[in-house]
Amino acid sequence: MFKKLLILLFFIIPQCLFSQAQFVKDTLFASGDSVVVSATRSERKLSNSTVPVTLINAQTIQQTGSIRLTDILKEQTGLTMTSGFGAGVQLQGLNPDYTIILINGEPLVGRTAGVLDLNRIALGNIKKIEIVKGPSSSLYGSEAMAGVINIITDATSKIPLEASLRMGTYNTKDIILNNGLRSKSVFYQGFYNYYATDGYSIRPSSNNRITTPINRLTTSQQFKFNINDRTRILLNARLTDETIKSNIAVSNGGVTINSNGNEHNTDANLSATLNYHFTPNLKTSFRSYLTNYISKQDLLTISGAPYNDLLNHLFKRIENQTDWTLRKNLNGIFGMGAVWEGVKSSRYDSDKLRKENTIQYGFTQWEWTPINKLIIIGGIRFDKNASYASAWSPKLSMLYKLNPSHKIRLSIGQGFKAPDFRQLYLDFTNAAAGNYSVFGSAQAQKVIGQLSSLGQIGGLYNNYYLLKALQPESSTGMHLSWEWTPTNKTFISTQLFRNDITNLIEVQQVGTYISGAQIFSYLNIGRAFTQGAELEFKQNINNHLVLSGGYQYLITGDKDQIAQIKAGTVYTRNASNISTRLTMSDYIGLPNVSKHKAQLKINYSNDKGLFANFRIIYRSKWAVNNTNGNQVYDNGDDFAKSYYSLHSSMGKEFNNGIAVQIGADNINNYIDAIHLPNLAGRTYFINLKYQIKYKN
Amino acid sequence: MKKQLLKIGFVLVAAIQIVACTKSEIMPIPVVTVSTKVVKDLIADTVLGLTSTGMPYSAGKYTFYSLENNAIVPSTDSASAKWDLAFMSTRILTNGGTSGPALGGAFIYSGLFDDLKTISTDSIFKTDNAPTYAITTGSGKGWYTYDQLTSLITPLAGRVLVIRTASGKFAKLEITSYYKGGVTLPVSASDVEKLTKQRYYNFRYTYQSNGSKVFLN
Repeated sequence: MFKKLLILLFFIIPQCLFSQAQFVKDTLFASGDSVVVSATRSERKLSNSTVPVTLINAQTIQQTGSIRLTDILKEQTGLTMTSGFGAGVQLQGLNPDYTIILINGEPLVGRTAGVLDLNRIALGNIKKIEIVKGPSSSLYGSEAMAGVINIITDATSKIPLEASLRMGTYNTKDIILNNGLRSKSVFYQGFYNYYATDGYSIRPSSNNRITTPINRLTTSQQFKFNINDRTRILLNARLTDETIKSNIAVSNGGVTINSNGNEHNTDANLSATLNYHFTPNLKTSFRSYLTNYISKQDLLTISGAPYNDLLNHLFKRIENQTDWTLRKNLNGIFGMGAVWEGVKSSRYDSDKLRKENTIQYGFTQWEWTPINKLIIIGGIRFDKNASYASAWSPKLSMLYKLNPSHKIRLSIGQGFKAPDFRQLYLDFTNAAAGNYSVFGSAQAQKVIGQLSSLGQIGGLYNNYYLLKALQPESSTGMHLSWEWTPTNKTFISTQLFRNDITNLIEVQQVGTYISGAQIFSYLNIGRAFTQGAELEFKQNINNHLVLSGGYQYLITGDKDQIAQIKAGTVYTRNASNISTRLTMSDYIGLPNVSKHKAQLKINYSNDKGLFANFRIIYRSKWAVNNTNGNQVYDNGDDFAKSYYSLHSSMGKEFNNGIAVQIGADNINNYIDAIHLPNLAGRTYFINLKYQIKYKN
Repeated sequence: MKKQLLKIGFVLVAAIQIVACTKSEIMPIPVVTVSTKVVKDLIADTVLGLTSTGMPYSAGKYTFYSLENNAIVPSTDSASAKWDLAFMSTRILTNGGTSGPALGGAFIYSGLFDDLKTISTDSIFKTDNAPTYAITTGSGKGWYTYDQLTSLITPLAGRVLVIRTASGKFAKLEITSYYKGGVTLPVSASDVEKLTKQRYYNFRYTYQSNGSKVFLN
């Protein structure tokens, strides 16, 4: 059915293409200079931002047919989606743990093994997405080590009613209802989304589904009150509730135990903000935020034994930020806040007891424009943590406008990621796989001490004696970019980046039980780096066609491993399994990182509401498993193959408010069930939308 | 002319030296050539099936091996000095200490098999003292790693087992694979394949029969 429709449309569209002769957009920048907030925590023109920011607007999201955050992020330069514990995002080679995800500036919580599942975030009411690359802890604190992804919604939508229905392969349904109300001073935006899929199985002759059946409900309610010229109140509420059918297979010594049941996740966010302008040059905002993420797994193994898992993360924050324009070319912001957070988990010693942490922080940032061509921003933040060491995060960035068509940006900053609750408090023994235990570092010595007095400890490793209060993982990042707009139809940007990471928290064996089963805990031991280059371009071919693309070259490495390789103490195996000495030329670096990633897009649009696009995404091979008997990733290990996927979408908006869109993803049907479980085979969708617009 | 004379003189001296050398070498030390032998798919208590609760089971028996004879020793000779090593799943015994009546011992050398030309005199051979063994058991501690996620056993690269045999002679040994056919099983192999193809030792070793700690190649 879909196929036929698609073929039909392919025939129709070329005719439309050539019958259109009218001018739509003359330049890339027809809509004016965009405004971004994430880079400096204050509204700034994108062209004046001193750090690299990627901006994705609602139109792009809609035209690519993206419905979850993962859909659109995977098409961005420098971003790679990861699988395992949901879909996470790797930014410039750093794992999902190191990128903070914000909705309207407030952080989302509820990570599993450091990964925040980005499928949780619906895009149906998004105004724009801002991606800041590079350490941004000077403004956002922990987690903003690789960068920041800020999802921005807007209460002041001009659409009073919008309804859309999307149907796709694997019985996937996505229903959206947006409604808005506005008066002179009160704005309301409501968003409702229901998503369901049967999931898919891409392993032939297996009923084991890669993506299991999901039912997901999201709602968001936003109010904005302009009380008077000086005072504004914003209220946001968001709720995501999902039920995922689970069929988990746990392998132990080659024996697989199947469990069936449900995973139920609830993510609630509430925020209230008061903005007040004392004078046009002095304004302040008070923000309060509460979020709760509850994840429950209720499974039954085949033998009938129950398996339950609970995670309950509660996060509260209050914050004040004051923006002060001292002079025309000098302004500063001051902020301070307090966070209280607590986690209950069945993987800690007791799921009744909440593990808690408090953070108090303060930050300031100054922006100085000594001459018109130069903007310099310096900022620093201090985080005082109750459960682990405190952190200072400075950042310095600058923008130099050589002339109207050349811009150079340079930023140097420090980022950190605080030890998470799992690394501090985990108390988990895997009865399903060899009875090994992992204890959080905050209580490993206590727990092991108790086990020892019960005579259960077989031996302690040197690492046990090195256990101490964990330090935050920290990085120093440097970004240098050059932006060139030779004509108003061409945009080229190149960027060099380097991140040096210290104090990486890694799982290490600290001892053994009498039975020989291993005991693990967390230590600050690793040192690593990521560095590379990015190239992005956009070219208006004519009034209707825009070609754009991006490429990232990335190299990573574990500094301690490199030292060992250079010392000649790391070995590998040749084709006949004989040990040989590993050389740097065979060293790969960090796992799950591809050296090359690229995408190319061509977009067509006209002023009759017709659009079509074609996108190619490429990712080169990446190391997935250590298989040749050393602890280092090298050319002799297990790799996921390089691949590309083709995506296309097209649609038309009619004057009466109806819009139709069809699309196909992974047209070339690339499948790698083991390494890319989130990539279904070829899928199709059709989307119908009805919109009532205000006339103005 | 002078130069040529010098050259001839040089050659003459060299020739005399060569003759002298060969003469002295013929005489005293009996040369025992050592060769490196390859052992394939030595069965080490392979998995027989699954119990009703789904756990793998096996006969629980060691395979005894003589490095001197490069042959399996019947288990009836387990209490003798006829074997040097005994294999059962990932555990390897040496014929000494709590494991056997002879002089066996071992230690693990980090480095390349070919680079180990002489066992240094300060090396300490450990003997089996159950439940600890000269060839340390456990993932990452002795000769292999076990990956909890993939259930695969991988011999550590750059590890040489230095063996003192039952008769007190020396050998060096490198394990190349734990799987049938000497293959490295892919992560994606089925659970059944991972179970049925494991516990097959593939290794190469050099045995020095003259009792010295020097391996000539």
